[in-house]
Amino acid sequence: MENEKKMKTPFMERPIIRNIMPFAGFIFIVVLFAVLTNGQLYSMGSLKLLLSQSYVLLISCVGVFMVMTMGGLDFSQGSMLGICSVVVCYLSNYNILLAILCGVLTGGIIGLINGFFNVKRKITSFIVTICNMYLIRGIVAYATTKTPVYGASNITSYNTLAVNLTFTIAILLIAFAIFQYTGLGNRLKAIGAGETAARFAGVRVEKTKMLVYAAAGMITGLAAFINSIKVGSVTSTAGNQLETQIMIALVLGGMPVNGGAKVKFYNIILGAMTYKILIAGLVMLGIEPKTQQLITGIVFLIMVAVFADRDTGMIVK
Amino acid sequence: MSEVLLHAEKIDKNFGVTHAVDHVTLDFFKGEIHALIGENGSGKSTFTSCLTGIYHKDSGTFTLNGKEINAKNQVDGNYQGVAVIVQEIGTLSGLSVAENIFLGKEDEFTKFGVKNTNAMNKKAQELLDAYGFNYIKATELIDNYNFEDRKLIEIVKATHFKPQILVVDETTTALGEKGRIELFKVMKQTRDDGRCVIFISHDLDEVIEQSDNISVLRDGVFIGTVKSSDVNTDDLKKLMVGREMSNNYYRTDYDEVVSDEVVLKGENLTVPGEIDDFSIELHKGEIIGIGGLSECGMHEVGKALFGASYDREGTVTLADGTKINDIKTAIDHSIAYASKDRDNESLVINDTIQDNICLPSLEDIKRNHILHGKDEKAFAEKFAKQMSTKMEGVHQFMSALSGGNKQKVVLARWIGKDSDIIILDSPTRGIDVKVKADIYQMMDTMRKNGKSIIMISEEIPELLGMADRIIIMKDGRQNGEFKRSEDLKDTDLIANMV
Repeated sequence: MENEKKMKTPFMERPIIRNIMPFAGFIFIVVLFAVLTNGQLYSMGSLKLLLSQSYVLLISCVGVFMVMTMGGLDFSQGSMLGICSVVVCYLSNYNILLAILCGVLTGGIIGLINGFFNVKRKITSFIVTICNMYLIRGIVAYATTKTPVYGASNITSYNTLAVNLTFTIAILLIAFAIFQYTGLGNRLKAIGAGETAARFAGVRVEKTKMLVYAAAGMITGLAAFINSIKVGSVTSTAGNQLETQIMIALVLGGMPVNGGAKVKFYNIILGAMTYKILIAGLVMLGIEPKTQQLITGIVFLIMVAVFADRDTGMIVK
Repeated sequence: MSEVLLHAEKIDKNFGVTHAVDHVTLDFFKGEIHALIGENGSGKSTFTSCLTGIYHKDSGTFTLNGKEINAKNQVDGNYQGVAVIVQEIGTLSGLSVAENIFLGKEDEFTKFGVKNTNAMNKKAQELLDAYGFNYIKATELIDNYNFEDRKLIEIVKATHFKPQILVVDETTTALGEKGRIELFKVMKQTRDDGRCVIFISHDLDEVIEQSDNISVLRDGVFIGTVKSSDVNTDDLKKLMVGREMSNNYYRTDYDEVVSDEVVLKGENLTVPGEIDDFSIELHKGEIIGIGGLSECGMHEVGKALFGASYDREGTVTLADGTKINDIKTAIDHSIAYASKDRDNESLVINDTIQDNICLPSLEDIKRNHILHGKDEKAFAEKFAKQMSTKMEGVHQFMSALSGGNKQKVVLARWIGKDSDIIILDSPTRGIDVKVKADIYQMMDTMRKNGKSIIMISEEIPELLGMADRIIIMKDGRQNGEFKRSEDLKDTDLIANMV
């Protein structure tokens, strides 16, 4: 009897599938590219390269993860990384700590602008952040018109495994602790799953949203530091397409695009790594960038279809 | 008895692990109004939804006039001879009356790919006139009509093609007197034509009055069929619950003295368009009932006191002088509020039982400023069980629960928060007798423990049975106050409502 009942839930809708799929996908991609590249992808050199390319994505995923948990979206992340990198590089010529601080502040201010239009002017986050994406991209292009903005000559000396890894892990750990152990995660999920009900249960919805948009910006400010020490300068294309990479990564990690109760923190790490391995594998196989885009597009579509939380409805706030 | 019109054979339906309808076999005859009753979650609506194509049954067969039918959706159901009028709004905004009546059947008016709107409007108007609703214009937008009229339009939509089986699912609770009379007329017409009405209602008096036969479901299982002329409401309650209802449905005391201590004071509360200069004082251990017609503003009073109203003027003050202007402050100062709109305001419906119970109490559940998953689970389990919520576990999503169990989770949340002032808006709306009795019992216990309750209710017996003091509202203002007394009659209250 018990068995018969369990059989009735549609295969893809079962919670166990939602939980296992992202892990299975990760392992599948790891194994697939191990075979296709004859294990080259996992040579020491390639792994180091893979890791060095993952820090920025891992960090900036954290902020968007929180925004998406509330049922919002943030498309301004790529441009934000660009403008924050401009600030970091420019100020690193004076003082590196000041540079980090102002990078974070810049991100925070843009986040607040996103939050203001979303919360106070009641425009969906999707529209607000797309507007800001173009607006800020324009500013970055202006700042880098004649020459790239160069960082201090010694800025790339910070680009060591120790700094990068410590920095990234620290951010992930702190974010995890705040999300999991302060009740913030519960509140964000409640907002994503049902904003009105969350408000009636005492969640300060507007304040929380402003805070999260600001935090997402500040975290991207931190990612901009890692980006700057890696490259040493900023051109007008800095952070291009980062926003879509983040979204694809989170969805690959099993995150429902519409947020809500089924969100898990591990979606960030699993998703970012799956995405990076997928891309690195495709590059190593010598597949053209255009074809890469095609493949990631297809994978993204499939994963969105699998992980969307249909109960919550496809409403972007 | 006459011939069988519809035969249901071993109808079975599961939602996840909830066995909503358990191999129900049942016959419906030509020329009868057949009522289907049962507690919340007993499977009445699920059963008829499988018939009309709203849900798809897992197994079993429906045989109509000797032919198996299997409705893929509601329109398909219509073509196969079954139609349903639902509890909620079943019409679509933004469309005309005619477009609503013929929704999904536009092909009937389409020639060579072009829809003949005039023909459709004309036909719709003929139907409306035939039903006696000639003041409704087929060409107008449905949005121009009020809830009641939209329900009438829905009746036309569901019955104009003379379906063999008409399902009326809890429709009467949403209707006023006029709408009910029209609905009953259509039901009788259907019966007299030798067709069949399946009538679902929580109002047992109405069920006995309107139906010929009554079938009872309990936990998805068919219990039996009785003739309406042979039973009274107590018999039905027994069949539904499976045990005798205790006599003390409501509290029985009548001369208890309420403390003088004021715990909550609302002064000159005004919400534009809703309430107008309303004042209230709630005492320790008191139950105040607020009653009135649905639109009298009483539902907004609950929100205003909880700090949830937009544009509220006036003040809400606690005994210690704290002013309540927003929800967070209200909750932090021990005020609880259970909204009438359970699915949108009371509960995060797409979240788990655990998250719903814990949400306002997260800060209290923390140990050394840290929130542990284990503690959350234990907290939720404790209060869900205290309310005897029927569930697989606290990880279950709210959307899978029945109305009564959802309300239990709402109450479990506020009992967990240990609030001292509890505002309950329509606490027993759409809830069956057993859970109702549990809720009244709980309110009585709370009162005795010194908690204060404001109960906003559209049900007069509930106000008379539970409240120490009843405030009647009309047009946003207070229009009469009554002290608890055995001699108080429902007519006294009604006189002040209208």
